[in-house]
Amino acid sequence: MPTMDPNRKKSKPVDLVDSVDSRVELTESTRSCPFPDEVLERVLSLIDSHKDRSSVSLVCKDWYNAERWSRRHVFIGNCYSVSPEIVAARFPRIRSVTLKGKPRFSDFNLVPEDWGADVHPWLSVFSSAYPFLEELRLKRMAVSDESLEFLATSFHGFKALSLLSCDGFSTDGLKAIASHCKNLTELDIQENGIDDLGGHWLSCFPESQTSLEVLNFASLNSEVSFDALEKLVSRCKSLRVLKLNRNISLDQLQKLLLHCPQLMELGTGTFMQELISGPVTEFKNMFSNCRKLVTVSGLWDATPLYLPVIYPVCASLTFLNLSYATLQSSELANLLFHCRSLRRLWLLDTVGDKGLEAVGSCCPLLEELRVFPADPFDQEIFLGVTESGFVSVSRGCPKLRHVLYFCRQMTNAAVATIARNCPDFTHFRLCIMNPGQPDYLTKEPMDEAFGAIVKTCTKLQRLAVSGLLTDRTFEYIGQHAKNMETLSVAFAGNSDLGMECVLKGCPKLRKLEIRDCPFGNAALLSGLTKYESMRSLWMSACNVTMNACRMLAKEKPRLNVEVMRDEEGSDDSQAHKVYVYRSVAGPRRDAPPFVLTL
Amino acid sequence: MELELSLSPPNQTRHPIKKSLHGDPCRFPLVSWNHDEDDQQPNTFFSGDYQQDLDDGVEGVIGWPPLHSWRKRMMEENQHERVEVVNREEDHEEGEININVMNRNYNELFVKVKMDGVGIARKIDLNAFHSYQTLTTALIYMFDKYVEIEEDGAGYKLMYQHRDGHWHLGGDLPWEMFIRSVKRIQMVRN
Repeated sequence: MPTMDPNRKKSKPVDLVDSVDSRVELTESTRSCPFPDEVLERVLSLIDSHKDRSSVSLVCKDWYNAERWSRRHVFIGNCYSVSPEIVAARFPRIRSVTLKGKPRFSDFNLVPEDWGADVHPWLSVFSSAYPFLEELRLKRMAVSDESLEFLATSFHGFKALSLLSCDGFSTDGLKAIASHCKNLTELDIQENGIDDLGGHWLSCFPESQTSLEVLNFASLNSEVSFDALEKLVSRCKSLRVLKLNRNISLDQLQKLLLHCPQLMELGTGTFMQELISGPVTEFKNMFSNCRKLVTVSGLWDATPLYLPVIYPVCASLTFLNLSYATLQSSELANLLFHCRSLRRLWLLDTVGDKGLEAVGSCCPLLEELRVFPADPFDQEIFLGVTESGFVSVSRGCPKLRHVLYFCRQMTNAAVATIARNCPDFTHFRLCIMNPGQPDYLTKEPMDEAFGAIVKTCTKLQRLAVSGLLTDRTFEYIGQHAKNMETLSVAFAGNSDLGMECVLKGCPKLRKLEIRDCPFGNAALLSGLTKYESMRSLWMSACNVTMNACRMLAKEKPRLNVEVMRDEEGSDDSQAHKVYVYRSVAGPRRDAPPFVLTL
Repeated sequence: MELELSLSPPNQTRHPIKKSLHGDPCRFPLVSWNHDEDDQQPNTFFSGDYQQDLDDGVEGVIGWPPLHSWRKRMMEENQHERVEVVNREEDHEEGEININVMNRNYNELFVKVKMDGVGIARKIDLNAFHSYQTLTTALIYMFDKYVEIEEDGAGYKLMYQHRDGHWHLGGDLPWEMFIRSVKRIQMVRN
């Protein structure tokens, strides 16, 4: 029996909703939909996917309204595409917000500080529109300690905070969260530009805090009070994700694990300890009670003597993140021998091709592989992984869907083989670390490699290309990559034709990020009709001029065309960094002086 | 012999040469990068994202390879640490285990090598050599393509920076001690 919600039509939490309410009244009398609102809302409340919800809202006015009122979670992929006021007006009952800010290349220092994406204006609006807000997940946003304090004190039922790749705050902000959020279930701090002023924040969790389910402070450097941590872990009986930082020693980890046998995801601290007595015997049973563990990460400083400590849990692991451990091939092989259920594996390239052979032979269920470079800036080390390692994995792991691979050499033939072995790729990111490097055997461009990928892997959604590439690569992409949504290009192409092919040929393209390519004004303007159907376009160090950008801005008023000025201001007609995105909020009002909105 | 490397293939003029303030053509940005803590000079190129400094051997392309800056920082911190674990012998059911860990990548002893007159530094694994002579010979051979060197390497001597920070002339320590104490090497012209 659907429950009546008497408050639904009467309450007006925000004045902006008034206009929408009157529309509701109108449609009631001219109703074509046979279901009462409550039934429709109840049904629609079961729909989670934001894409499905967007579709639902387009059916008719009734469905639009029912969707509005039943939605609990909103996902905003570009914080400047919409304003917080518009969001609050349309969706009155939000409990959970995911918000992304800066362009992705800011992760690689291509976006100056103070560019924007400040979360505070959003929090201000939310504090009155969504006083019952429970979850906030931020990616690449600028977050200050004041904002964190404001968050902690304005939303009394607040439960989950996730900060990924954000910057502008310090551990003082975390203190506020720990102290004030009485119902906190999740605190997930990852890869942020955070000012680490010490580990005292963890001691700010009061003794009444027993609801934590997720605690991730692996990327913080300073030491927390172990005593406070141990007490916290022992009273939070629902803790299922615990990711420690490197300062936590092995014997401290052992003590912690005694308190949380229900743990599902563990990030260890340092995995090596100088001991006088036999180390392995002491830690041999550390994991014997962890029967629910499916993810292990951390493992800093792990050496062959200590890795066997985790063997007892390996059989049930589905995700193993070894990207902080400098393992050699034999250590990895010995470890993977026990890990037959792995679906996701992250590695450092210290394991070499031999290590990857072990991946191929031990992990037939593997779906995701990421291989990071241990020494990205040293060109002349004859280490790391090559095409041969990648091919070995593809042979043994036909279910591979998601790959990120950093290497120093590659061949077209190898990639073609890989594509044949793994036709189900949805995410393919290959980074040949030397820009513009050809097939090292044939000396030809790597066009055929990516051609093979787009031809064979029809489900491809995300692609990142590298190596020496001509316009041919982009012709292939335009012709075949019909499901591709995200494309990253660097140091590639010959002429405007390359970019034009992609813009013309890829119907599902949403994000295009380009750096250091010879694409110019004709290429930029060829996408005139395309950009409104995309989330964003980034072009830096290409051949685009200010005039072309102005033209784009003039023709398409619903796009924000932003140009970032070069610091030296060498040539005013060149547009060094261009960021184009669709927006219903108009040009942003918080742009710093070096960002010019045309 | 001047070192000229190009980012683009030989027959393409993808990146135009821009005249510097003095009217001399600037060099193309370099392909290789050896990341150092040394200072980086402001760019003078068409593209704002390159940095180059031939003399110090410090080259870099901003934001490349595309690794998250957080991960890059973490890798750099890792490299500067050395974990020393004393020789230890363990009695196990399976047999004896002998550990000798001198640094994090304990199977390798990689050090940076620079040669006077050559812009790019190289890195080598000292495990591959067993004496100063074999090391010097290999280095001469490695750098031979960049500078004119007499066959016996008479024009150069090997200097090394000890872990304590001081520079010494190669050969003052026994080889085994040398490879455990050396931090970096420079081939200096006489």
